[in-house]
Amino acid sequence: MGSERVVVIGGGPAGLAAAAAVADVGSAVTLVEWAPFLGGTPIAENYAALTPNMESAEVAMGRMIDRVTSNELVDVRLGSQVAACEPDGHGFRLELSGDGAGPLHADAVVVATGFQHFDPGRETQMYGYYEFPDVVALQDLEAMLKDHHVVRPSNGQPPERICFVQCVGSRDRQIGNEYCSKVCCGIASKEAIEVRQQLPDCKVFIFYIDMRMYGYWENQIYWPAQEQYHVQYVKGIITEVLQKGDKLLVRGEDTTMGRPMEVTMDLVVLSVGMEPSLGTRLMAKTFGVAQNKYGFIDAAHAPLDTVSTSRPGIFACGAALGPADLEDSVSSAAAAAVRAVAHARSHQPVGA
Amino acid sequence: MPIGGRKQPPTAVELEHATVTSPLSGREWELPGMWNRMFEQRVEWDFTTEGFEKIGSLEGGESLEWCYGCGKCVPVCPVDLVGEYGPRKIHRKVQTGLDLFTSDDLWLCTTCMNCLRVCPKEVDMVKVMPAVREVAVAEGQVPGELADVFEKTFRYGNALGENPRRRHAWTRDAGVDVRVLASDPRPVDVLFYVEDYWSYHPRGMQAARSFARVATALGVDFAILGPEEKTIGDSQRLAGEKGLFEALMEDVVATLDRYEFQRIVTPDPHGFNALVKEYPKRGHRYDVLHYTQLLAPLVDRIEWRKELDCTVTFHDPCYLGRHNGEYDAPRTLLRAIPGVRLVEMGRCRENGYCCGGGGGGMWLDGLTANHTSERLSERRVREAVESGADVLAVCCPYEVSRFEDGAKSTGNDQLQVRDIIELVDEAMGGGGG
Repeated sequence: MGSERVVVIGGGPAGLAAAAAVADVGSAVTLVEWAPFLGGTPIAENYAALTPNMESAEVAMGRMIDRVTSNELVDVRLGSQVAACEPDGHGFRLELSGDGAGPLHADAVVVATGFQHFDPGRETQMYGYYEFPDVVALQDLEAMLKDHHVVRPSNGQPPERICFVQCVGSRDRQIGNEYCSKVCCGIASKEAIEVRQQLPDCKVFIFYIDMRMYGYWENQIYWPAQEQYHVQYVKGIITEVLQKGDKLLVRGEDTTMGRPMEVTMDLVVLSVGMEPSLGTRLMAKTFGVAQNKYGFIDAAHAPLDTVSTSRPGIFACGAALGPADLEDSVSSAAAAAVRAVAHARSHQPVGA
Repeated sequence: MPIGGRKQPPTAVELEHATVTSPLSGREWELPGMWNRMFEQRVEWDFTTEGFEKIGSLEGGESLEWCYGCGKCVPVCPVDLVGEYGPRKIHRKVQTGLDLFTSDDLWLCTTCMNCLRVCPKEVDMVKVMPAVREVAVAEGQVPGELADVFEKTFRYGNALGENPRRRHAWTRDAGVDVRVLASDPRPVDVLFYVEDYWSYHPRGMQAARSFARVATALGVDFAILGPEEKTIGDSQRLAGEKGLFEALMEDVVATLDRYEFQRIVTPDPHGFNALVKEYPKRGHRYDVLHYTQLLAPLVDRIEWRKELDCTVTFHDPCYLGRHNGEYDAPRTLLRAIPGVRLVEMGRCRENGYCCGGGGGGMWLDGLTANHTSERLSERRVREAVESGADVLAVCCPYEVSRFEDGAKSTGNDQLQVRDIIELVDEAMGGGGG
């Protein structure tokens, strides 16, 4: 073991995986998280079950957190953020602010600051997220599923008909998010299964442009949702949501039938995509690493090096690099960790 | 909008009486029906799970809901090529509220199985359609022309409503002796199960005689059931009369039990299909061959006496080819015939086009005509002509009459429709049907 130290920024799935990996190979690691708790978005946004294996988010994240906090090589700084970064020999001198304020030397840095959910208020289509209480987003339904209390926010009654609207805030030039957010088809289908489990009488519809189920998600989520849970997939996206009595009227085109559609729903769930989190944007500036046009940190040597940024010694992983599911996030975290350790050790005196 | 061939106009919705109030005078006007005419609304206004729940609860109906809309089935659906129909469309229509149990769409599927061949989700219309039809039949929602055939089959044991005692009348002019087991019950190698159309249809009877001559010349020890034979009724099963099929199976098995034979040979791919796939489910196992499978291994023993000098194309029967995987035996026979030049149509073998007769389509020409721009058999005839063939060769008893009609109605009288056995017989110096 050397005296090198890697600093990981962000305590979500990617940051926890990176910190654990750094410690696993015997380097000291400081994990900086600006929230007062670890677990990242799955905990902060009250996710119910993780995709695709449907394990409780709290249980699964709790296991990751324990693995990190129980390792003596890991120093966790909650409620803290990196305020400044200066070169320091071959490494960096970081200035932390917040609860763990103070200077910190880093031989290498892993940025794992993740994403935030697209704000449906920015949608150019009129989905009425802030107008209608019964229009919610994926994470709002997650919270209801976690409480086993899926209701129409307008009246507290269980919905009889729910629809998901895919690609909200993704694949849209006007919004500026031309990319596919990768996970929303799977998340919507997973939530649809959970709704059918919790409310067996509730009809669930998913309106989509095209279902993007990567790899095993096809048979792990999509096919069971359709074949075992009788979720109805309708090809054609919703363009607007209107009030009709105490219901919501969703309007769009049924593209396989080539006809307009106007269907009433009790609850409309917007499958919001991913945008770079505020933390990702701030850290990109603080560390002076290049961002792509969408604000995600640029993987400078992609596709075969997915974790190096434009600045040597600064690595990134997870959804800070762009839309990523959990499996991709923890995989890139391990890759970033090993690259960061290698970078840190390459400048350490042998046997120090 | 529907594309291609849909002859039925949109369903008109007319109100008998309507009263409108003038916005100007406030006066109420009575409007007669002609002014109240509306058409089916264009906007899809509901999606429902009820249809899938009802169909999915039927044994065999589960997979309709599995469709994810890729559409691979539609271009290979023989009905969609001449009308507005296709498995994916059925899925979507049911999702948008179609009651398949009372819809004409229920009767358009010929169970040709080309959709299942290409379906990534294994949506099995060959099981879905008969399951739904069975319910429709039980509820009396059957097209009249089909109900008539069910009635005839029930009453006479054949779809044509012919006298069962005349089932072996074709043997008289065969020119060779055909043993009937009822009068001569000695053990026999081949029980020749003639089925309905070779027993009664004039063109089928010609083929049956050809078979008798060819089999006799080749020294095949065969006999028929004659008046004791009843149809196996596989197409009736697929058209929704499972009960009738099962009752027939009991009769057929009881008859077969009385005789000793090594194998069953039939010219009918539909009966063949049932004997190979359905009978074993009830424990009735026989060694079954289509007649082309009996004869193909014997071609080297045939003494040819005549060169036919014709270009022949071959139509794969859905129930011999796709359903049971036999593509080569018919071609082996055709290639062996002196003077036959075999050419293939674009759609052949695994993606062979359907003649329209399967799954009850044989008896639904009236209903199908209301939803298609031309018959499937007519389209197939035009493909045969395009292939440059003089002869359209077949080996399913449904097809000779269907294609001969199609050749006439499309103005292609020059195209001869011949069963393979007729060509073999002719080249062996027999009558050729």
